[in-house]
Amino acid sequence: MLALVTMIPVGRAVWLSAASPEGLALLSDAMAPRATSLVVAALWAGALLVGSTRGPVVLPPLLTHALAVSDLPRFEAFRSPLLRSGVIVTTVCAVAAGVIATSLASHGLADMAGVARFILISAIVGAISTVLWLVGQVFPRTGVGGAFGIVTIGWIGTLAPSAIDYAPWGWVGPAYPTGEGGPSFVALAALALSMVALVPALMNRLGFVALTAQAARWDSATAHATGLDFSSAMTTYQTRPHAARNIRAVRPSTHLPWTFVVRDAIGALRTPGRLIVGVLALVAAGTLVVMAFAPGMPGWLLGCVAGLIAFAGLGPLTEGVRHAASAVADFPLYGIGDERLIAQHTLFPLAVTVIVTVGAVAVCSAIMGVGIGAPLVGALALGLMTMIARVNNALKGGLPTVLLTPMPTAAGDPMAAVRILWALDALILSAFAGASAVLLFEAPIFGMSIGAAVIAIGISRWRSRR
Amino acid sequence: MIMVDHVGVISSGTTLLSPVSIAASRGEAVVVRGRNGTGKSTLLRVLAGVRKPSTGTVRINGTVVAERDRSFRRLVSTMIGLPPMASDLTVRDHVTLVATTWFDDPAVAVDIAESVLEELGLGELGERFAHELSSGQTQLFGLALMLARPFEVLILDEPEQRLDPEHIECVIRVLRSRRDRGATLVVATHSVVLTEALADHVLELETAA
Repeated sequence: MLALVTMIPVGRAVWLSAASPEGLALLSDAMAPRATSLVVAALWAGALLVGSTRGPVVLPPLLTHALAVSDLPRFEAFRSPLLRSGVIVTTVCAVAAGVIATSLASHGLADMAGVARFILISAIVGAISTVLWLVGQVFPRTGVGGAFGIVTIGWIGTLAPSAIDYAPWGWVGPAYPTGEGGPSFVALAALALSMVALVPALMNRLGFVALTAQAARWDSATAHATGLDFSSAMTTYQTRPHAARNIRAVRPSTHLPWTFVVRDAIGALRTPGRLIVGVLALVAAGTLVVMAFAPGMPGWLLGCVAGLIAFAGLGPLTEGVRHAASAVADFPLYGIGDERLIAQHTLFPLAVTVIVTVGAVAVCSAIMGVGIGAPLVGALALGLMTMIARVNNALKGGLPTVLLTPMPTAAGDPMAAVRILWALDALILSAFAGASAVLLFEAPIFGMSIGAAVIAIGISRWRSRR
Repeated sequence: MIMVDHVGVISSGTTLLSPVSIAASRGEAVVVRGRNGTGKSTLLRVLAGVRKPSTGTVRINGTVVAERDRSFRRLVSTMIGLPPMASDLTVRDHVTLVATTWFDDPAVAVDIAESVLEELGLGELGERFAHELSSGQTQLFGLALMLARPFEVLILDEPEQRLDPEHIECVIRVLRSRRDRGATLVVATHSVVLTEALADHVLELETAA
């Protein structure tokens, strides 16, 4: 029932966005086929990367242990979760393609044959993604290397467009409903069949340690998520610090703010992969803000996505903020006041946000021919609001017991939705912050309201931190 | 230094701590003992200022306990459970950071951090992260964070947890040295060894909550 209540409105919103004039402008753009190829490259790189931490073959820990120590070949024992994962991925790809293709067809921009072709090829893309996801699980280090290889080749493809035709993901673009067509189906089907044929051999290489470790992690993450503690669920999959341990992060000086900036910077360097992803996310957020100010673009939608990405990008930069939030809720440990402790830990992430977003906005504005002023102000406002959202999220604490109180109404008990809103408040506010940042000059009251809400939540949580 | 006068805690009709009284001067150690549920941790929380007593009064250094008071923060160091440990700092980094925030002279902060690490046998673990420590090493790390800051009163809840006899002796030596330098210690413990080695006063909580 909850799925129906949430999924149908979301699905409708997605369809309306795709069918809107701004959405159609985006989907029917001349660059859309090439963009589709790049999206597929990102999907395949992501599948390899994700597989190294959470593969498609995951069962509850006890079942995993029992099956892994049994005499059954891995392919037989763990076939079901792989099939289940494959069906989900393939269905999602096909549905996404269906929304895009039918939106174009409903406005006469594509014929039914093109729609069917695109959906079929997207399903094949889903099948290939599943196998790559499995490859990432079986060969985690190779998977990470492969992911970076795909990203690198994809990036080269943006500089030399003709090169993209030689990469498998480049075969998807011509199948786009407004694409030029071509032998994509045969090539991709052959690739998919050859990869699927490798599945039994790949699965029989799944090791006991890897299987049980991934099962335990997923079990822990879902337990946290079920309790609406999404932060802890995410922490389960975070890479633990391992690099640069011999570089002193704390270099006492008479200038304490500088001590904290260096501390946070070196702390971030200790998970270099996370740091790179975080910085790239901030670049992406800045890019989306610039795109939102371009004529004919769905500004509010791009702003929402920019807000979510900016919030995610700040994660690797705000370990110090999270620790400070724990410290101010505990017995006094540091010799400075709680307010000063939190403030010192925001200096580094704010500095990085300003530098990266200013750089991204400047470069993208120049490339896209959009004036730099408005996007710059919007990006900086977004950076500030998502930083405050990060502090709020760190101070959040556990689910207030009052939210467990049932509240029967004529329309049912809305408290489940309230609890989910509470759990996702930082993401929701970040999305609104993104939208308000790009609408700052058109609807300044909206921006001020979001800013006030973010600050008010922060003050409330600060006062109840102990 | 510490004056506890008929302090008791009642919550929602349940007695968490029956009224107790104890006094301790500078350079003395009070060991709090009792069965599980007699209110040892509750008493420590009252002393630390995070729990208000339902009856009686607590004074530390002649003033009423006020956890958020700036001078109280400087006076009292409390470890009930483990302190929050930064995931991205090594043991040495974190202990040094705590010291840095208390001492204006950077060289003094570094010296104090290094000496605390050596006292607790953590010198060779200085480049490890918190998630790379065993449970006993984590307990010692927590103690190091407490000792890297200045205090006149040290409140500890079962500092011997997860430690082998050799490291319990190490902790006893460290706590004894702080006591001998004039600090007042309040330690809740089940350890007979720790009690006999440290206690100037023993407060036995007998009535179960």
